Amino acid sequence: MVDTDDAAVVARCLAGEHNAYEAIVSRYQKGLFNVALRMLGNYEDARDATQTAFIKAYEHLDSFNPEQRFFNWLFRILKNECLNSLRGRRAAEPVSVGLAATNRADPVEERERHQAVQSALLTLSVEYREVVVLRHFTDLSYDEIAATLGIPAKTVKSRLYTARQQLGERLAGWHVAR
Amino acid sequence: MNTFNDDRRDDNDELSEILNDLPQVDPPPSLVPTVMSTIAELANAPVTQPQVTYIRRGSRMAKKVLWSVAAVAAVALIALKVVGYPPVEQGTEATIGAAQRYQESQISASDVKVEDQQFQAFLQSDLFRQLANDKAAQDALKNQDLQKALADASVRAALARADIRYAIANVRLARVEARNDVIASLKLDAKSQAALEAALNTSPALLRVIANANIADAIANSSLAQALARSDAALALSNNAVLQAISQASFNARNDASVNVSTNAVSK
Repeated sequence: MVDTDDAAVVARCLAGEHNAYEAIVSRYQKGLFNVALRMLGNYEDARDATQTAFIKAYEHLDSFNPEQRFFNWLFRILKNECLNSLRGRRAAEPVSVGLAATNRADPVEERERHQAVQSALLTLSVEYREVVVLRHFTDLSYDEIAATLGIPAKTVKSRLYTARQQLGERLAGWHVAR
Repeated sequence: MNTFNDDRRDDNDELSEILNDLPQVDPPPSLVPTVMSTIAELANAPVTQPQVTYIRRGSRMAKKVLWSVAAVAAVALIALKVVGYPPVEQGTEATIGAAQRYQESQISASDVKVEDQQFQAFLQSDLFRQLANDKAAQDALKNQDLQKALADASVRAALARADIRYAIANVRLARVEARNDVIASLKLDAKSQAALEAALNTSPALLRVIANANIADAIANSSLAQALARSDAALALSNNAVLQAISQASFNARNDASVNVSTNAVSK
């Protein structure tokens, strides 16, 4: 699906109107940042990855194919940044999973559950984690996720199934412990 | 008992509910300004000489030819040196001296006595030439407070962050005499705020820098921004000899320009 707005903004940027890029950053910052946050589990790493992804995208705007959806292209850049961040992270380095605000009746329990979910997400391999993140933290359909990741929709469903099984096992442990 | 993974239910089960229940987190307010500030720097950066591109575009044969020509030229120069050709005649020294006078606008290692060899690369860089041709950057670098501040490593670390430079230049501060007011007004994220606090703790001169609108503007919007973003360049700017070299190169550039204007006027 081609987004004519994004394509028009890209064309303006390529024509030298670099301030036009602010529309793209403003439009995608929240979605992209939340994807990075769930992929990395750390606020500052997510911020750095998102910023770098936007800047790298700008630097390579001339290689963007306007027939594609801009978000798909941007996500691939962000994913590489997340992978770089994960590679650079020391094995023993703790991640800050306390990323949740809450307003429910039992905020302590809800916060604990959010932290457990984020921790469980971080135990998934990147391949599984990205399908879960794209499915649950963006509005993308299976087909759109497939297009974003460059894999068949069947593979998306299969990975999502396995990922959900693994998540279920890990969260079941948390449930039992409570 | 595992309540989540018992079948291939799609998005309506308890696991999906829990996943969908994770809240959306707002990105840091500095994200857009930081990205746009960096992009502005990239957009304003001059295109460097595409020497490498030319070489890449050429064939392998072209490289061989290049090396062959260079080798022949080197052998020829050595041979001429050994033979002592051409002979130097008396009375030509002054002529040669005069001809060379205006060819010395490039700063070389011998022009400025920079003791530390690490700055030599900076003196030969495009960024150095940009600074020498950027009046706003030079005016800022002449400021004693900025010089003092840049001597401090924590100031350089703070000003390396694009969001801090952007905030300093763009947030109109009601009062800049109070350190805590400044920190609060700039509305930085935790990491940048900590970096700025550390810088202000060790360098009181930085507060005066922030108070100076022209310098604050130069920090974000001149070639100085690019220099501050690079740790090697920022360190070089803390060296007095390097600052003198920039000033000297700027003087030479202006002098050359005026000589060219005069020469053109005479030739007409």
